[in-house]
Amino acid sequence: MEQLFAVKYSYLIPLLPLLGAVAAGFLGARWLKDRAHWAIWITVGGSAALSLALLTGMIRHVPAEVRERAHIESSGAIDAGESLSDSAQMAYAFRVSASKHVYTWLEAGKFKAEVGFFLDPLTAVMLCIVTGIGLLIAIYSKGYMAGERGYFRFFAYVGLFIFAMTVLVMADNFLLLYLGWEGVGLCSYLLIGHDYERPAAREAAKKAFLVNRVGDCGFALGIMLMYVTFGTVSYYGNPRNPVEYGVLIQAATNVSLSPWQQSAAQWIPFLLILGAIGKSAQFPLHVWLPDAMEGPTPVSALIHAATMVTAGVYMIVRCGTLFVGNGPATMTVAAVGVFTALFAATIAMRQFDLKRVFAYSTISQLGYMFAAAGVLAPVPAIFHLLTHAFFKALLFLSCGLVMHATMGELDLRKLSGLKRVLPWTNRLMLVGCMALAGVPFVSAGFFSKDQIIAAAWYQNKLFGLALLVAAFLTAYYTFRVYFRVFQGPTVLPHGAETHGQGDQQHGRREPAVMILPLVVLAVGAILAGYLNWPERQASLGRFLGQSPSLCLSHTLASRYGVDVPPVPFGVEEDPDKKVRDAMNVLHTNMMVASGLIAALGIYVAYLFHRKYRARSEELAMRFPSLNRMLERKYWVDEVYQGAIVEPLRRLGRAFNLADRFVIDGIVRAVSLTPQIGGFALKLTTQRGSLQGYAVLMLLGIAAILLIVLW
Amino acid sequence: MAMSEAVLRQYLAVGAILFAIGLIGFMTRRNLIVLFLSTEVMFQGVAVNFIAFGRYHGSLEGQAFVIFLLVIAAAEAALALGLIVQLFRRRHTLDAESWRELKG
Repeated sequence: MEQLFAVKYSYLIPLLPLLGAVAAGFLGARWLKDRAHWAIWITVGGSAALSLALLTGMIRHVPAEVRERAHIESSGAIDAGESLSDSAQMAYAFRVSASKHVYTWLEAGKFKAEVGFFLDPLTAVMLCIVTGIGLLIAIYSKGYMAGERGYFRFFAYVGLFIFAMTVLVMADNFLLLYLGWEGVGLCSYLLIGHDYERPAAREAAKKAFLVNRVGDCGFALGIMLMYVTFGTVSYYGNPRNPVEYGVLIQAATNVSLSPWQQSAAQWIPFLLILGAIGKSAQFPLHVWLPDAMEGPTPVSALIHAATMVTAGVYMIVRCGTLFVGNGPATMTVAAVGVFTALFAATIAMRQFDLKRVFAYSTISQLGYMFAAAGVLAPVPAIFHLLTHAFFKALLFLSCGLVMHATMGELDLRKLSGLKRVLPWTNRLMLVGCMALAGVPFVSAGFFSKDQIIAAAWYQNKLFGLALLVAAFLTAYYTFRVYFRVFQGPTVLPHGAETHGQGDQQHGRREPAVMILPLVVLAVGAILAGYLNWPERQASLGRFLGQSPSLCLSHTLASRYGVDVPPVPFGVEEDPDKKVRDAMNVLHTNMMVASGLIAALGIYVAYLFHRKYRARSEELAMRFPSLNRMLERKYWVDEVYQGAIVEPLRRLGRAFNLADRFVIDGIVRAVSLTPQIGGFALKLTTQRGSLQGYAVLMLLGIAAILLIVLW
Repeated sequence: MAMSEAVLRQYLAVGAILFAIGLIGFMTRRNLIVLFLSTEVMFQGVAVNFIAFGRYHGSLEGQAFVIFLLVIAAAEAALALGLIVQLFRRRHTLDAESWRELKG
């Protein structure tokens, strides 16, 4: 594996976008100006090509071993994973992965921090998502950001973001992961506040960064605890040598951990969860994401739908071995995910800003991913991450086209029937909405969401039910938006009717540079679902299952006797035919159920928002308090404002006063002492009379004589 | 003829008293000319001391130095009185307190 071109040059994947960002940032103001996008197109394109090469190289590496192993297992000779010796098993887990050490970052006594990459199927998939969608969004942004101030700054920050995200995904130790983690948080701040002249954007950027920080705090503590417990922050260390095992392997094999270390290790997942909750906008740290919509729409698509927010899910999947066997931890992840999915979906039902609906939708879908990770089904989690990236980016970018046509108006009470004005956007958004709602077979969202619901149902019927309800609400609010904005009589805000028809600023309403990337995304949103059809030999799941994280987690799960279906781990099917049939029945039932629910949701949305718009509004007015609660997002922001933000502000003001009057007062008092002394001296000794000076002279001589003679 | 210590002390006392008188006079009197007079008196006190030591050690150096002293005193007198005349022409008073410009 190490001999692959893509592996040898894997350091280019983060490096190229960084160089692009530097070029755009430093040369963009004077020299590149509105050609700044080239710096990013070329470099991110290069990264994307390398990521794809990495993926294909890895895929080619997989089949032989898998087929061989599948053959051995299906002949019933060996139980999956049980009787292979530990070291052979370890070697097997790492068969499709490569480590690349770049340089030693810092050394302090026994502690060593490395910059190194760990490339396995999980990383490869994430990289393709990040760079691929990043590239498409960069292409789109040329059209969207055309003519804006700070054009080059936008692209520089996007390049920086891709750098940080790739580092996050490729890191081979937690410290480097944290670097990427912080980096994407920073870029999120920079990009949300791109139009920093607007106060709303500034506040939103600050909020995003600070709320993220709360999570990051937990994450940092988790990493420190990891170091204290396991003695290293490397993921896997040296898998061949038990003395040098990394964190994740130690957690899997419980290599000689003292009792207090073991109990400390119980707490690590919770701290990591805190970090993931902050980064992936789960309740209660979800409040930054809707406000983040103040940023430019491509930013919302890239960072707050496809990539940054998924870092939490990635981290939990990567750290699978830390979570397996820790019942409370996985339950927490699942519960947070399920609750958030339902919570956010209810809020989205009553939001009127187009982008805010999709923001809450993102929070809800991330909840699905969390739930999947929590019920120990990492493959559906990543699968949904992939499909969601496609269709959510598609949806947000379509919003961007709508924004351009309506001069920034996004209130869906003021828009209607845009399909006549924006034909392509209409089609693309329809594809995205179908994917989000989970329309059977024509959308990727159907497959991925369905697998998550099935996995959740298997573990805990209540979770499964909650996710089904959330799916219904998802279909409803998604098509509420679609039917309102695109169907029905055409209503545009004042002044927007002629906007975009060949005016200098934006040329055509649906320029190719913005439509083509969306077409690619739409194709992905439809076809990506077929990547993980359960029965097929060469599915996404099986590929991901080659990753050590999943492999070791699965082994650990079986060792703990946790009841986990093997397929969501990317392991081949259970050899027992009865279990296989039961799972098939479950899956089929689930598909039918989700299909029906999606159809029901869409139909209800049609009734309320296309056919009987006026009456549905009257119906809504019958429940004013419920409406208010949803519109006000359950007052979470207000609670935070009152309980945390205002007291802190007051504390800050008090400290300011203390600083100005008490501390500065003391300083000024201290400076007064010599002043008073000098003044006293002046008053007494310098009176201007000759004889007075004579007296002083005499006194001085007398003093000296006294000192000398005594 | 040698001098005993007791006698030396008496001469020194005279010198000291003269010096003290001059000093106190300098510090206390307001008339510029009297001020200067007091400095002359201080000179004389020092001169007496020199003579007394000269006689005590049996050398003529004491007396020689007093000659120098007198010359210097005279020169200083000329200088000082010239200054006093100029100062008087400015303020038309011989009051030492009337020049306080350097106060503060």
